[in-house]
Amino acid sequence: MNCYEIREQIYSYMDGELTLWRMRAVSIHLSECPPCASGMEFKVVLRASVAQRSAEALPSELQGRILALIAAERSGAE
Amino acid sequence: MAPRHAASGPEPLGVGPGAKSQHECPRVAVTSRAVANQEDFEVLAMQYAGEIYAHALRLTSDKADAEDLVQETFLKGYRGFAGFESGSNLRAWLYRIATNSYINGYRAKKRRPETRDIDSMGEWALHQRIGGLEKAASDVTPESIVMESITDAAVKAALDALPDDFKQPVLLADVDGFSYREIAEILDIPIGTVMSRLSRGRKRLEVALFSLAVERGLVEPNPEPESVSV
Repeated sequence: MNCYEIREQIYSYMDGELTLWRMRAVSIHLSECPPCASGMEFKVVLRASVAQRSAEALPSELQGRILALIAAERSGAE
Repeated sequence: MAPRHAASGPEPLGVGPGAKSQHECPRVAVTSRAVANQEDFEVLAMQYAGEIYAHALRLTSDKADAEDLVQETFLKGYRGFAGFESGSNLRAWLYRIATNSYINGYRAKKRRPETRDIDSMGEWALHQRIGGLEKAASDVTPESIVMESITDAAVKAALDALPDDFKQPVLLADVDGFSYREIAEILDIPIGTVMSRLSRGRKRLEVALFSLAVERGLVEPNPEPESVSV
């Protein structure tokens, strides 16, 4: 696998969506190619950052409202 | 020979009328072949309320709209739960209801930013520019320096700037951890489309955050970005 192919497949590799054979080929390339490894590192950091900053807690009163809505629906249907 | 099961059918494991004590029911994902029982909807579905709310908030970018969308999702989920196709994934099913409700209702009210042509900047050039910071760093990686210097609001703004068609696959993959197949089901698009939108969405996000880093003087701008896009 060359650097261009790695570029094309790096996210699929990170997502675990490649075949076992391709996963292994990407892994071998990364261990031997610092620029490609650095490229992946950036993507890993970016993804972690997006995930971390996208976390939101459920407002406590919202849970109560959902349950009340379902209870009303249930009693209305009967 | 008589049929093995009586007309009433086999009792679904764990979710039948026999499982009356809802408070003691474990928080489990529905993946069995059991027929979904509407009575168990709250117990099974509410464990995902937090992430559905986060998903709704990311879709609508508005707390009041997100709360309405979550309520609509759970009401629709409850109504449709009797027909819930067992063997599929309850979490992905709820995401699908939320996403569809958003597309059919809330998105129509909102104007999304126009797609901007930012693909011209080579993705690989981006890595190389950020990698150039390596000289200045010792034990901390240059990538984390850049990301730590960018505020939560900036990351959210970069996400919001993505067109919905790109933003949704990126969030479902990178934040919610769904597989390509699950994303295809949630968004009701072919898996090949999921892959191409993910790829383009992620590239746009990288470029947007890189541009921000340049604006803030965190990295040097690249006067002639090497074009490696195909």
